[in-house]
Amino acid sequence: MTELPIILAGIAFMTIVLIQIARKSMLVVELFVVQSAAVIALLAWSSRDHVTLTLVATILAIAAVKLFVAPFFLKRLIATHASRFSSNTYLSGPNTLIVLALIIALSSSYLFKPLAVIAPGAQTLLFLSIASLFCALFIVINRQGALSQMIGILSMENSIVMMALAAGLEQSPALQLGITFDLLLWVCVAYIFLSLLYRQFGSLDVTQLRRLKD
Amino acid sequence: MTALISSADFVCTLALFALGAIGSLIAMKSDRISGAIGTTAALLGSALALMIGSGVLISHTPIAVQFNSTLPLLSFSFGIDALSAFFVTIIALIATIASLYAFGYIKHFTPAYRLGRLGFFYNLFIASMLLVVTAQNVVAFLIAWEVMSLTSYFLVIYEYREQTNIKAGTRYFIMMHVSFAFIVLAMLLLYRATGVLDFANMAPALLTLPAQAGASPLMLGTILLSAFVGFGIKAGIIPLHIWLPDAHPAAPSHVSALMSGVMIKTGIYMMVRIFFIIMPTPPLWFGLTVLAIAIISSILGVLYALSEHDIKRLLAYHSIENIGIILLGIGSALIFLSLGLPTLAQVALIAGLFHTLNHAIFKALLFLSAGSVVSQTHTRDMEHYGGLIKYMPVTAVSFLVGAMAISALPPLNGFVSEWLTFQSLFAGIIHGNSMTLSIAFTLAIGGLALTSGLAAACFVKAFGVIFLARPRSPEVTHAHEMPLSSQLSMLILAALTLIVAIKSSFIAHTLASVTTTFGAFSNTVPSFSSQPFTIVLNTGSIISMAMIALVLILAVLLALWIVSLLGGRRRVEVGATWDCGTPLTPRMEITAFGFAHSIITVMRGIMRPTRQSSVEYQDANIRYFPAEHSVHFFTHDFATTHLYRPLDRALARASQIIGRIQNGSVNAYVLYMFLTLLALFVVISLGII
Repeated sequence: MTELPIILAGIAFMTIVLIQIARKSMLVVELFVVQSAAVIALLAWSSRDHVTLTLVATILAIAAVKLFVAPFFLKRLIATHASRFSSNTYLSGPNTLIVLALIIALSSSYLFKPLAVIAPGAQTLLFLSIASLFCALFIVINRQGALSQMIGILSMENSIVMMALAAGLEQSPALQLGITFDLLLWVCVAYIFLSLLYRQFGSLDVTQLRRLKD
Repeated sequence: MTALISSADFVCTLALFALGAIGSLIAMKSDRISGAIGTTAALLGSALALMIGSGVLISHTPIAVQFNSTLPLLSFSFGIDALSAFFVTIIALIATIASLYAFGYIKHFTPAYRLGRLGFFYNLFIASMLLVVTAQNVVAFLIAWEVMSLTSYFLVIYEYREQTNIKAGTRYFIMMHVSFAFIVLAMLLLYRATGVLDFANMAPALLTLPAQAGASPLMLGTILLSAFVGFGIKAGIIPLHIWLPDAHPAAPSHVSALMSGVMIKTGIYMMVRIFFIIMPTPPLWFGLTVLAIAIISSILGVLYALSEHDIKRLLAYHSIENIGIILLGIGSALIFLSLGLPTLAQVALIAGLFHTLNHAIFKALLFLSAGSVVSQTHTRDMEHYGGLIKYMPVTAVSFLVGAMAISALPPLNGFVSEWLTFQSLFAGIIHGNSMTLSIAFTLAIGGLALTSGLAAACFVKAFGVIFLARPRSPEVTHAHEMPLSSQLSMLILAALTLIVAIKSSFIAHTLASVTTTFGAFSNTVPSFSSQPFTIVLNTGSIISMAMIALVLILAVLLALWIVSLLGGRRRVEVGATWDCGTPLTPRMEITAFGFAHSIITVMRGIMRPTRQSSVEYQDANIRYFPAEHSVHFFTHDFATTHLYRPLDRALARASQIIGRIQNGSVNAYVLYMFLTLLALFVVISLGII
């Protein structure tokens, strides 16, 4: 049972790695759903000893946003504009894997040793979260499609939640609800913004968005 | 007096300034009303502040004002302790007189410029200076400091249609924010070293915390240097002075008087607070650094002033010179403290503080006099003046008194503080325990002596060229005295130069009581013995300005008596001057350039003058009979040519290179953040910070 958080974090981490190499747009969204489910399960597991109605409501709200609302908007975006996630990356496939390996190695190296003090009892979870965070950041750096970058940012948010859980920095339900509300707003705004961008430029590949048009 | 002054008075002072600022804006459409509101509020507010400052100085009862908030960083505390009271008194004194001057002076800006805008920024400027010297915690201080910089910037560009003013303002704005960066660095490091934001708690925290807790010698050295650079830019020390000769002349003259007379002293105030109250155990190298900068500032300041023919720039360069003299006192005090000689340190610090007061008075007087001249002649170029004493006698006398005071001539106030500074420097030679110190103090004495001599020469030039001989432009012949309020303010300042000198013993003792409140001097043997009208130092030196004044008056009376005795009742005949048959014209008079030329030539190794000659001939083909021969003589500020221009070029090159990373790709920007994050982790892992 004590291995459960690590398994859940491992699932989230693996989805992030897979998003890096996935080529199909729907698959990336599905991977994000799996990743979010793992993080929410982790959140529920960490709150198992002090279950309250507010906490359950909070977890349900987070689940609603991450498992239904965000994927809904993403899928709608793909369906409406018949767009595909740009599968283009700045680095080639093998190079992407090499950088990922380096990031994972770096995350477990002595460089991040100072961080171990914030989670003395959950170092594996912490380092998995750090690796997830950096891999998610790398999605934003390496992928050329704006939709991929959006998924990258959402994955970063999931990684930060994992890191906070590992370090025992859970916040009050009210604050978590606030964060979830922020996320909801962000997804809505990003959806509208990307729709407008697609309408204007006919593409969501950021390399094509170099020059603003009237 | 104690019962009369309370924190409510201080709040009333601030309210008056707020009223003046807002009232000026509201009445913006009428220059007459907005000018009256702005100036009256500034006058009343400053006068009340003068009462508060002098009251605290005399009663030795500090007052405190707290503006609380639920957020700790937004809780501001202000208070007037002994040091603050001294600076509040100086600021309020000069602001009161400058505001009185403004009643008659500001009218000439209309209708070209709105007086409502001037009143708004003028009131905020004075209020912010008072808040700077009364702020008791870091956040309040930084906010007040920034407001002071911004309001003074808007006053510098008040006459915004002049491109030179905009350029001066931009330079001032940039330098003030470089200064602010260093000040914030010093404050953050102080906070890190002490863990407190209140100035009053910093000194005890530094004494009790072990070095490992954050206050390592390296950190303390960095704090001292950062503070010196940050506040030194505001004070105008060389080579950080480049904003000052442009910004002070650009502002309206009563604002110039405040900027040059008191605003730059806020830098001195914070240096004293940090170096003597918060960190009272300075290292020897730091004292020597301050002394070296002081020597350079005083000598180069007066040399550049000599080469100027713009009256307000000349005065601005003299501010740099006088900041150098003030720092000679402060630097000596730091050296004496590091040598464990607090009594001598106290004398040196009193010399510096005394000169701070004196410079505020005579520099304000000179700027107000210069403002009167400029407002009548509509030019700052001294080569276009001449003979103004006939048209503006009160201004001429006021300028002469200011010139004598700044040249440290007895019996005026400049002499006393320079005498005290000399005493400190001589004591340094006697008590300095190494060859380095002896050389440093000897150089400082030589520098101060040279500075005093050159300042006298410069003001002989200035007074002679502006007020004596014949008018060199038609504007001079149309000049007349300023309104009564402006004349009165100049005469009050002129009288103060004499009163302060005669009451120098009282002032020195007041300053001694101010410095005794500093931790460094709390257990010091008194450096003065109490004598009315006489300063008696423990080193054995004595000076009585009252006696000197009396002797001078008697000498003048004696000379007059001897002249009348020897001359009898000779008849005076007025006739035409013998002119060799050539009509006398203003072209025959010595010019500002002509006067300074020989001195600049002697100092050409330092000043690097350049000369351009041009000749126009009656007939360009024959080139035998010249029609006009002109010589242009330039001196370049070495800091501009050797420091700022190369720095500017290097920055431009670096910006071009750095500009390449701004490629418009979001991915690249995220990559930079990622790499920065990694770099920070590397730095932390290696234990660098």
